[in-house]
Amino acid sequence: MDLQHIHPEPTSFVRKHIFSTDHKVIAKQFLWAGLLFLAFGGALAMLIRWQWAFPGEPVPVVGPMLFQNSGGAITPSSYNAIFTMHGLIMIFFAITPIMIGAFGNFCIPLMIGARDMAFPTLNMLSFWTFVVSQLLVIVSFFVQLGSAAAGWTTYAPLSTQVGTPGLGQTLVVAAVFVTGVATIMGGINYVTTVVRLRAPGMTYMRMPATVWGLWLTAILNVLFVPVLGSAALLLILDRQFGTQFYIAGSSAVRGGGDPILFQHLFWIFGHPEVYILILPPWGFVTDLVSFFARKPAYWYKGSVMAMTAVSVLSAVVYGHHMFVTGMNPMLGQSFMTLTLIISVPAELLFLNWLHTIWKGSIRLTVPMLFALGTIFVFGLGGLTGLFLGTISTDLYLHDTMFVVGHFHLTMAAAAFLGSFAAIYFWFPKMFGRNMNQSLGKWHFWFSAIFITLVFCGQLVAGYAGHQRRLFDPYQYTFLQHLQPLNRWTSYFGFILAASQVTFVVNFFQSVFAGTKAEQNPWEIGTLEWTLPSPPVHHNFDVIPQVHRGPHEFSNPEVKKTLGRDWIGQDEELPKTGKAPAAPAAAAS
Amino acid sequence: MGAIVPYPPPRARQEWTAYLGMVIFLGSWAMMFGALFFAYGMVRARATAWPPPDLPELPLLLPGLNTLVLAASSAALQLAVHWLRSGKLPRVGPALGASLALGAVFLALQMVTWSSLWDEGLNPSGGPYPSVFYALTCFHAVHVLVGVGALAWLCRCAFLGKYSAARFLPVRLWALYWHFVGAVWGVMYLTIYVV
Amino acid sequence: MNSAARLIKQLAAFLAATLAAVTPGLASATPKPEAGIGLPRDVSEYGHHIDWLIEVTMVFVVILFIIMVIWMVWACFAHDEKHTAEYDHGDSKHSVKTALALSAVIFFVVDGNLFYNSTTDTFRLFWNHDALESDPKAVRIEVNAHQWAWDARYTGPDGKFNTKDDVITLNDIRVPVGVPVMLQLVSPDVIHSFYLPNLRIKQDAMPGMTNRLWFQAKETGEFDIGCAQHCGVHHYKMKGMLTVLSPDEFKNWVTEQSAIASRGYDPKDNEAHWGWEWKSRN
Repeated sequence: MDLQHIHPEPTSFVRKHIFSTDHKVIAKQFLWAGLLFLAFGGALAMLIRWQWAFPGEPVPVVGPMLFQNSGGAITPSSYNAIFTMHGLIMIFFAITPIMIGAFGNFCIPLMIGARDMAFPTLNMLSFWTFVVSQLLVIVSFFVQLGSAAAGWTTYAPLSTQVGTPGLGQTLVVAAVFVTGVATIMGGINYVTTVVRLRAPGMTYMRMPATVWGLWLTAILNVLFVPVLGSAALLLILDRQFGTQFYIAGSSAVRGGGDPILFQHLFWIFGHPEVYILILPPWGFVTDLVSFFARKPAYWYKGSVMAMTAVSVLSAVVYGHHMFVTGMNPMLGQSFMTLTLIISVPAELLFLNWLHTIWKGSIRLTVPMLFALGTIFVFGLGGLTGLFLGTISTDLYLHDTMFVVGHFHLTMAAAAFLGSFAAIYFWFPKMFGRNMNQSLGKWHFWFSAIFITLVFCGQLVAGYAGHQRRLFDPYQYTFLQHLQPLNRWTSYFGFILAASQVTFVVNFFQSVFAGTKAEQNPWEIGTLEWTLPSPPVHHNFDVIPQVHRGPHEFSNPEVKKTLGRDWIGQDEELPKTGKAPAAPAAAAS
Repeated sequence: MGAIVPYPPPRARQEWTAYLGMVIFLGSWAMMFGALFFAYGMVRARATAWPPPDLPELPLLLPGLNTLVLAASSAALQLAVHWLRSGKLPRVGPALGASLALGAVFLALQMVTWSSLWDEGLNPSGGPYPSVFYALTCFHAVHVLVGVGALAWLCRCAFLGKYSAARFLPVRLWALYWHFVGAVWGVMYLTIYVV
Repeated sequence: MNSAARLIKQLAAFLAATLAAVTPGLASATPKPEAGIGLPRDVSEYGHHIDWLIEVTMVFVVILFIIMVIWMVWACFAHDEKHTAEYDHGDSKHSVKTALALSAVIFFVVDGNLFYNSTTDTFRLFWNHDALESDPKAVRIEVNAHQWAWDARYTGPDGKFNTKDDVITLNDIRVPVGVPVMLQLVSPDVIHSFYLPNLRIKQDAMPGMTNRLWFQAKETGEFDIGCAQHCGVHHYKMKGMLTVLSPDEFKNWVTEQSAIASRGYDPKDNEAHWGWEWKSRN
C-alpha cells in the first residue's frame, strides 16, 4: 500500500502564512489575490459602462481624481486602457487565480486522497511568481503614457511601438509572460499530482468531475500557455529590441514581419484558454448537480469523455477568431467545420446535467443555485456561439457587441457564477466556518438576473451592428438609436456590481466570525468531507482506500443498511464489508 | 482513524514523480520552441528573398562545430548517468566536468558567432531575417546558460561525494533537460543555418 | 430670438436644402438613422442570405433554450426535496444511445443548416472575388485604411490605378447602385476593418497584405462606413460615408472629380501616390 510522506508542520508565522508550502494555505492566498483583482476588474467595467451610458460626462466620485486633465471625464486614450486592462485583469488576474489557483490547489489533493501536491515548493513559488505579475500590472497604471491600450487581444502592429509607444504596454506584456510562468508551474504540479498521488482505489473514473475539470485545464495550460509566452516574447523583442516579427506596412524593414503571425500564436493559446476557463466550472457543475439532486451524475463516463474531447479539439478551432483577416477560404472552412463539431461534446454535457437533475430530489442550496445559474448562462452563451463559428453570419457579427455578449456569457458569467458555486460549497471546509445562506441566496438572485440582463443587452446591441471597443459609439448614425439600450445595460451593470456587496459582507463576516462548520454539512461522499473543517496540515491521518465513485446517491442498498441517501467514497458497507459497486484494482 | 501513519513511499516511486514533472516541464518548453519555429516558418514563407541579398550570410562551420560540441556534452552527461547507475563513482565527477566544459565552449563559440556577425552589420533591427536569427539563438542560449549553471552545481555535488548508485535523481533530471536543449539546437542548426 | 433672425435662419436652411438637392456633389447629406433593436436596414443585393441564416438559427436557438429553461424550472418544482430521487447512473445502453441520438439530431439540424448555407454563401457569393474579376461592369476601388481615416481611389477614365486622373476621396466612397463593387484594402500602420453594416459585410485591412471585399447595393442613399478593428485612440471616430448613386450620377461624379484631380496632380507628391496595380490574383 502506497502512502505519502508527511512533511513536518511549519512553526514560524512566515512559514505558516506567507511562504507556506501547504496547498490549502496557497489556495487561500490565490483566493484573496484573485478576489481583490476581481473587484479591480469590475470597477474598470463600471467605467466602461458609464462612458456608454453618459458619454463624455465626468465620472461621479472618482472622476476628478482619476481623470484630472479632463475634468473628471474619461478620455479616449484612458478608455482604451480601461477596456484593455478590464479584459486582461479579469482573465489572467481574477478568474484564473480564483478557479485554478485557489480551487485547483484546494480541491485536487483533498479529493484524490493525497497529503499535498506533488511539488509543494514549486506550488509556493507559483503563487509568489503570480504576485510579481500582479505588481507589474499595478505599476503599468502609473507610467507616463498609461497602461496597455491595445485591447486584451493585444493585436500587432497596434501593440508594437508603431501603435502603442510607451512603457505601460511593455510592462503589461511582461506581466502576462510572468503570470504564464506561474500558471505553467501550477499546471506541472496539478498534472503530476493527479497522475501520481491518487489514493489506492481512486481510478480515473472514480475521480470527481471537479478534479477532471481542473486536471484537463492544467494539461491545456501546460501545453498552450507557452505559445502565449512565445507571442509575448516576440512582441517584447519587437517593442524593445527593434526586431520585426509583427511589423508590416510603412515601418517594415526588408519586407517586415507578419501581423497575422501574432494572431495565430495568440489564438492557438487563446482558444484553449477559454476552455481552460470553463472546464473547472463544468467540473464543479457536473459534481454539484449530482450532489444536490441526490442522484448519480448521469452517464458520468460520457461527461468525462465530453470534457476530454473538448480539450483535445480546443486547439484546432482557433481560426474562427480570424475569419475576416483575409485567410484562405479553405482554411476558414476547416476551422468552421471543427468549431461546429466542438459544440457536440458541450451539448452532450448539457444533456447529462439536465438528466441528472430530472427525477432527483433537488436541494436548492446556495451552491446548487449557482450551479443551475451557470448552466443557464452557459446555455445561452454557448448557443450564441453558433452564429460566430459560422463564416457567413460572422462576416456581419465579427467584432460587434454580439461577440462581447457571447464571450461574457460563456466565459465571464459562467466562470463568475461557477466560482461562487465553488466558494459557497467549499467555504465550510476551507475556513471551518459557515457562510450566511440567506445572504447567499440574495447574492445569487441578484447576480444571475442582472448578469443575464447586462450581457443580453450586449447581444442585442451587437445584433444591431454595434461594434466593440468604441469610446463614443454615437459618432455613427446607425448606432445613435441604441443609446437608451446601452444606458439600460449600464444601469443593470451598476446594480450587478452593487449587489456584490451581499457577497463581500457575507465573506468577510463569515471568515472572521462565521458559525463553526461541521465536518460534512452538505452530506457528500467525496474524500474532503471525511476530514475536519478545516483539515489538518497533512490532510489524511491514513491514506484512504477508495471503493466507489463520487456520485453514489440514493442507492437503495445504502438506504437499507446505512439509513441515508449518500455513502462516502472510502466507506465500507457494514454487512459484507464490500462496496455495492465492484472495486477496481489499485490506482495507477 | 487512530494514529498518524507517515510511511514514506519507496524512493523509486518518488523519483518517478519527479521525472514526470520534468517531462511535463520540457513538454511546455517544447511547445514554446515549437511556437517560435512556427513563427520562423511563417515569417520566412512571407519573405520574398531569404536570406536577403544585402545582408551578411550566416556561417556554417562554427555553428556546425557547435552542434558537435553540444552533442559531445550530452554524451558526456549520459556517460555520467551510466557510471552512476553502475556504481563507478570516481568517473562521474570528471564526466560531469567535461559536460560542463563543453557547454561553456558552446556558449563561447556562440558569442564569437554573434559578435562577428554584428560587426559585419547583422543586427536585430535589420528586418525579419536577423530578427529570427538573434531571437531564436539567444533564447536557446539562455537555456544553455541555465543548463551550464545546473551542470556546475551537479559537478560540485559529485566531487563532494553526494551521489551514489541509489541516489542520483538530480543528475537524471538535468540529463533530460540537457538532451532536450541539445535536440532543440539540432533542429535550429538545420532550419536556420542549413536550409 | 427675434423674428428677423428666425426668418434669416429659415431662409438659410431653405437655401442649404435646395443646394444639397440640386448638387449631389456636395456631400452634406447624412445616413438615415436606424430604429428599433433589430438588424439595420439591408440595402445589399445578397445580404439577405446572412439575415435569413441568422434569423432561422435564432429560432432554433430560442426553442432549444426555452426547452432547457422549462426543463430546469419544472425539475426544481416537481422533483424537489419531497420527491424521492431515482437511482440511475444513466449509463445503460438505452440511455447512452438516447443521449447520443439527441445530440446528433440537434447537431445535424442546427449546425448542419449553418454549415450548408454558410459554405454555399461564402464560396458562391461573399468570398467569390475571382468571378467578378472578369465582369466588365464591376467598379474597382482601392482603399487605404490608416489611422484614422479611409482614403479611397478610383481609376478615372484611363482605367489604371496610381495615375494622373485617379479620383481620391477622404472618408467618402461613392458607388453606383445595382453593380458589383470590388474593394482592395491595405493599411500602412495597424490593422483596421472596413465595415458596412447596411451591407452586412466587413474585411480587415492588414498591413503587409492586400485584402479583398465586394458588395452590390440595391438602393440609393447614404450609409455608414465603420472601422471594426481597434486601431488606436481615434478608432471610434474612424467613420466614413458610403453614397450609393444611380449609374448616371456615379459616372458624372467620377468624370467631374477626375477632371479636378488631373488639374491638381503633382507628380512630385509621392505620399499621394499610394495606389497600386490592381491585384487580380488567385
